Amino acid sequence: MKRWWVRPLVRTISALVLPMVVPVLLTLLLWALPGDPASIVCPPENCTGTEALAERWNLDQGPMHFFTEWATAALGGELGNSWRMQTGASVSTLVFDSIPHTLALIGLAFIPTLLGSVLAALDVVHRRLDPLLYLLGLLPAVILAVMAAAWKVLTYSEFGGETAALFLGAAVLGIADGAFSGAVTGTRSVSAAERQQRYTGVGVLRGETELANILPNITPALAGQLRARILHLMSGAVVVEVVLKIDGLGDLLWQAALVQDFGVVLPVTTIFACFSAALLLVQALVEGAAAVWVRWSPSGVVGSSA
Amino acid sequence: MIKRWPALVVSAVLFALLLLLALVAPEFLSGPNFDLTDFGPSALPPFGADDRGRPLWELAAQGARVVALPSVFAGLMVGSFAAVGGLIRSMEWSRADSAVQAFGEIVGAMPRMVVILIVALLLPRDMRGLLPLAATWALLSAPGAMDEAAAVAERLGGARFVEALRAHGYSRWRIFVVHVVGYNLRPVIVRQAAEVTMQVVFLEISLSYLATSNNDPSFTHPDNVRSWADILHLGYRALAFEAPFMHALFLGLTLVALVAGTTIGLSRAARAR
Repeated sequence: MKRWWVRPLVRTISALVLPMVVPVLLTLLLWALPGDPASIVCPPENCTGTEALAERWNLDQGPMHFFTEWATAALGGELGNSWRMQTGASVSTLVFDSIPHTLALIGLAFIPTLLGSVLAALDVVHRRLDPLLYLLGLLPAVILAVMAAAWKVLTYSEFGGETAALFLGAAVLGIADGAFSGAVTGTRSVSAAERQQRYTGVGVLRGETELANILPNITPALAGQLRARILHLMSGAVVVEVVLKIDGLGDLLWQAALVQDFGVVLPVTTIFACFSAALLLVQALVEGAAAVWVRWSPSGVVGSSA
Repeated sequence: MIKRWPALVVSAVLFALLLLLALVAPEFLSGPNFDLTDFGPSALPPFGADDRGRPLWELAAQGARVVALPSVFAGLMVGSFAAVGGLIRSMEWSRADSAVQAFGEIVGAMPRMVVILIVALLLPRDMRGLLPLAATWALLSAPGAMDEAAAVAERLGGARFVEALRAHGYSRWRIFVVHVVGYNLRPVIVRQAAEVTMQVVFLEISLSYLATSNNDPSFTHPDNVRSWADILHLGYRALAFEAPFMHALFLGLTLVALVAGTTIGLSRAARAR
């Protein structure tokens, strides 16, 4: 029998390592590309002073030097400067201004997803709605975002700009690419399988509710699904933020990627890795708590030693 | 409930339409026609014109060409990964199974679009195109597909199923390729492959739309080629600014529906008996 603490432990270790591994990999990949990094960012045929820039951006002494300098500064809250997007601008300011918008967007979009999961766990969403949910789930974020962007322009005078964009974006993210329908069908498939187990029937015969019996067993799977859904929302947020012009991390990453601004891409990606790590940590905690809950001896149970 | 054969025929026809569109795509768009005042399909059949008076069918065809090969390649890649995932579980290779799960944990830890943008960033400009991004998307989708295929293989007997067929004296080819992959895993392999094919098409539209809306070069195709995102952007202008391109919005949504219809049809056609 597998030890219950292995999975939560592996997730915890992954969560601790991820924010470090992602920037290391990015740095190594930058050096693995043909040509030296400074020439990639500032081609000598297009711009002068490549060597001076390489020295200023710590690109002149290899990947380890670059990474240690960047990581040391990042640990102190200084994420460096933009190389090309807004040359010289502080990335810390750009990133910390963007984080609240992205968190608000994802938080609002998570509401319908969570609602779908809860309704499915309570088994109140009728299966006749499945074809409708399936069709709803096929709608890509970009199409809905385009519609929302047009609506935002048309109703700008009535609803204002940023707040409307945030709510519209959240609605798009919460529905598109199967976010809501996936939450309903995913949760239902997990809970339906558990409802068919014999122990659930026995619990019901004892006068207990189905949900109270299945909840400890489905919690780890649901935690995994919810983490995947939040990651999915974070992925979709890039598209929604750019189309609806929300100044979030996704928009920042897109703008930086377009101009190959590694000085911005590296910290933004690391922030995304930190969010992912936090989600992993929460999942590990939920899994661990559920395992302890299941293994906790219920009161009133007497061993049959006789 | 949609029947199997009609679903297969419909999806095959839709897929053939997309391929045909890609095959007849012109290498270069027609020259602009600024004298055109009516952009609708009545003025320039069959789909009307864009804001420069160029026929929209040319944009649709070039867009189909951009997505055709990479999306199908990604679909095949994920289908193959799903088959491998199912086979590993059927053969009870526990170490390989654990390795697949670990791979899934690592690959699934970051938001997909973030990974795609990083790959796009790291690709040298002359190597930019949809194919590497589609392959990356397929790789990111692979663990989920393998996991689902493995779960299906296990539910249908796993190693015991294989053992039973061995006891009947069946050859390895018949057991693993015909029964495990062909019969047991077919629904999940085809559905996953079709869905990833569709996702790659939507990914291309998304990336190109983001670039088009900001007048930036696309990660997915050369500047002289247009994609379906350009058609949708015209549609956006029709919706938001009442520009005379409602026909473009209709065409863009039809193309998206065409791809979604192919996916639904294929998934339905391959579902378990």
